[in-house]
Amino acid sequence: MKVLRWLPWVALAVLPLVLHSNFILTIFIFSFILGMAAVSFNLVFGFTGQLSMFHAAAFGIGAYVTYLAVSRWHVSFWIALLPTIAITVAISIVVGVICFKFKLKAFYFAVVTMAFSELARLIVLNWNSVTNGTLGLMVLDKPVVWIPGAGSLKIDGTTAWYYFSFIGLMMTVAVCAIVLRSWIGRCFAAIRLNEDLAQTLGIDIFRYKLLSFMIANILAALAGSVYAFYIGYIEPSYLSIAQSLDIIAMVLLGGRSSIIGPIVGAFVLTGLPHVIELSAELRVILYGLILILTILLMPNGIVGTLVSRRRAT
Amino acid sequence: MMQLLIGQVLNGIIVGTLYGVIALGVTLTFGITGIVNFALGEFMMIGAYFTWYLVDFGGLPFAVALLPAVAGTAACGFLTDQLLFRFTRNNLVNGLLVSIGLISVVEAGALLLWSATPKEMSYVLTGSLQLGGISLPRMKLLVFGLLAAVILCTYAALSRTWMGRAAYAFAQNPEAAMLMGVKTARLQTGVVVYSTALAGFGGSLYASLYTLEPAMGGLYILKGVEAAILGGIGSPLGSLVGGLILGVTEAVGSIYLPSAFRDAYGLIFVVAILLYRPSGLFGADK
Amino acid sequence: MTRMLVWICAIAFAVTPSFAQDVVKIGQIEAQTGPNAIYGYMSSQGMPIAVDQINKAGGFKVGDKTYKLELISPDTRGDPKEASIQLKKMLETDGVKFVFGPFLSNVFVTVEPYAKQFNGKFLMMGGATRIHEFLDTPDHEFLMRTWNWDAGPKGFGNLMVDRLIKDTGAKKVAILIQNDQGGKVIADIYLPMFKAKGVETQLEFFEPGTKDFSAVLAKLAAGKPDILFPGYTDAALYDIVRQATEGNYFRRFFLVRGSLGPGLKNKDQIDDYFVYVPKYFEQAEKTDPKIAKFVADYKAFYKRDFPYDQAPLCSSSCYDHVFMLVEAMKKAGSVTDVTKIRKELLAMTYDGLWKISYDEHGEEIINFDVVHMTKGGKIAVTSIEAR
Repeated sequence: MKVLRWLPWVALAVLPLVLHSNFILTIFIFSFILGMAAVSFNLVFGFTGQLSMFHAAAFGIGAYVTYLAVSRWHVSFWIALLPTIAITVAISIVVGVICFKFKLKAFYFAVVTMAFSELARLIVLNWNSVTNGTLGLMVLDKPVVWIPGAGSLKIDGTTAWYYFSFIGLMMTVAVCAIVLRSWIGRCFAAIRLNEDLAQTLGIDIFRYKLLSFMIANILAALAGSVYAFYIGYIEPSYLSIAQSLDIIAMVLLGGRSSIIGPIVGAFVLTGLPHVIELSAELRVILYGLILILTILLMPNGIVGTLVSRRRAT
Repeated sequence: MMQLLIGQVLNGIIVGTLYGVIALGVTLTFGITGIVNFALGEFMMIGAYFTWYLVDFGGLPFAVALLPAVAGTAACGFLTDQLLFRFTRNNLVNGLLVSIGLISVVEAGALLLWSATPKEMSYVLTGSLQLGGISLPRMKLLVFGLLAAVILCTYAALSRTWMGRAAYAFAQNPEAAMLMGVKTARLQTGVVVYSTALAGFGGSLYASLYTLEPAMGGLYILKGVEAAILGGIGSPLGSLVGGLILGVTEAVGSIYLPSAFRDAYGLIFVVAILLYRPSGLFGADK
Repeated sequence: MTRMLVWICAIAFAVTPSFAQDVVKIGQIEAQTGPNAIYGYMSSQGMPIAVDQINKAGGFKVGDKTYKLELISPDTRGDPKEASIQLKKMLETDGVKFVFGPFLSNVFVTVEPYAKQFNGKFLMMGGATRIHEFLDTPDHEFLMRTWNWDAGPKGFGNLMVDRLIKDTGAKKVAILIQNDQGGKVIADIYLPMFKAKGVETQLEFFEPGTKDFSAVLAKLAAGKPDILFPGYTDAALYDIVRQATEGNYFRRFFLVRGSLGPGLKNKDQIDDYFVYVPKYFEQAEKTDPKIAKFVADYKAFYKRDFPYDQAPLCSSSCYDHVFMLVEAMKKAGSVTDVTKIRKELLAMTYDGLWKISYDEHGEEIINFDVVHMTKGGKIAVTSIEAR
């Protein structure tokens, strides 16, 4: 039975060798990268119980900072991730302290993070000298990976990007798994289940909420960096509320009680428009209906529902 | 300069009442059903399109068209309550997500029916009042009056009638209210329907001032939520005051600072107030 | 049994390609829904009508084969991510050689690196403003731009501005435009143009989606300019023009995008309203039988009212362009040799709803209307042949 658990990962790993359709592999690549964003969002949402609307902002900031570091300071993609992480940590601390120090409850936390997200977007939109504002930035550089035995490899072309993003996704999942299985993760769970009780038990909920928020944002920033270098173009709409809502939808659909649930959600929502041939408006209606029906009928998402069915039998 | 400032403060107040009526819907829904109905912006859109349709195609005069438009919107509200929101009571996250799904469905539906081409309803009241050097469009003044009246009446009804006090009681302590004989399920449905009617009314008045597009609701629900928080969730007066402050801050900010950041001024103000007084200006201290 | 199945499959596969040979697939990537639907809507409406008419007439003949058209038109929703997936499917899975669109600059800039890999294998004909900067650069022979360019000596912008100065003697212009790609590009084109002609400018950006412009109109009016240059879609223009006149901020307007609609709605409050319209359909319908036929065809095809406001955007990757492509294929004697077909497109002048030709860079030149409305709704239309 344990073998079955690894089967999907193995299948994904060998897919490009079997399937030669660039079009389908591209959908997978986008699903992987957005899956990174969704899995990291679930860290603060599903596991710590905080509805953060700042995730897309972290995603977008990561994209911009990494590319700007590469183009302005002429460093490699990997070195450029360092300032990205540093800036994301700094911003997370600022926003997090404002939200958590003042003990803002669930709804207010969502609104304040939304406010900061919009502020970030407006700054990016209007800071023309740095971000080129609404015209966006074209990313022509590609990350370079050093493989022992094969030398350095430029990540260019569908197959290379497939494996690059797949590894990125696995790393995100691994980080989340490590965090969640540690005592840090148990503090997150305690906060999610009953914040006041957790506090009486001696857990510093301010510190752990901040930590959860920060780790999620860092992973989102990394996902954003990969996305930017793949799609080749960055614009302020990366930081929009609509982008945050898309990620939330993926988590909900896939299931917020598991680490990999959001990945399923990412696949469904990214691939669905291309699988179903419907008129444009009908497709949007379908998207909305899926969201509604998921909440009403499958509140634990696809993975959650499957898991509880299996447990029941 | 003074003229410019006064003129914009007045305009900000008028625009603010439109935010305020949506904020009222948000605050009532949250207080009584425990969720934030993000789809209120879509009900505003429905009300606006119904009104436009009745006036431009049904030939009804605006004042007459208001009633069926608002009633129609309330009927849609009733439907969504029975089909959707009934199952998400007090579940903030679920309610939020169902609203988002509803937004997609309603907006796409409007696109199908009326397309993205902006619609402009025939003007209802033209001409402006001249005060000093300031021009105030008559229709805007009328809209202000009507919205302010509705919000104040709602406040009065909540604090003085039996039904209103039952609603307050319910918001404070649902079990006690139930034990006292308040029909809670009906109350909750009633509040949802009323808030969609408010949004629809706001939409109808919106139609007399601005162009209609299927995506128009998005901006207003965001402002409505901001205003509701600013004024204090649970307080009808707070939603009006919150809306006014938001409207004025945006207008004044746009004059002295780049107008590209207009939305930011309101946001910063809201965050600042929240930090100083987390329950909002008129909110109850928990 | 299995062997028979294998033979049947083999024959089926052998037979199918020959059916595909009699069909020419054309693709279209535009935003049909979403906040930027205004830019893709008309093109996605006009193209099916053209394809339907050509097919109903029995297709078209190139060499000794008759071909029909198949239109593949997914909705990008204005999302670059969607567009890149859709374009990949079009070029790799469906084998499309002629792609119309995109009109949105952010979509174009995202798909450009990928499209470049197919240089020489297909044609991309879109209206996006940013296509302009890529025309005539190496490896971009696949690219053509299906819209007028404002700047440059043949540009209608120059013409409009000269006209404005001549007719009104304006010395200061207030510009109020969307804070997005289209708005930025317009600001970049017109600010230097005005400056070069000795006209002072004051520029303010607004967030797309803004409905109440009182504050920013008041701010601009305080600078006492002669005329307001608002942009650039009807969605914003109706509100801007109405509020500008109601609030007594401006009574004179100059537009390089958008329609006459906002002017007409407020005609008694406006002194001057200049607008560049690719075509003033309401009038053209009465004088040009081709336009009248198109309007009638649209109504019959969609069983809907004709979108007069949107129709001017049919000057880009829309109805005429399909017929033009078919003619180019006929002249080139091939449906697959894109280099030859492009050459024919550049050499021809097509007289349809518009008179369309391309300059040596691959950018469209069309005749257009300049409409000048004065108080009370008096309209003077000047049709200009851009050559």
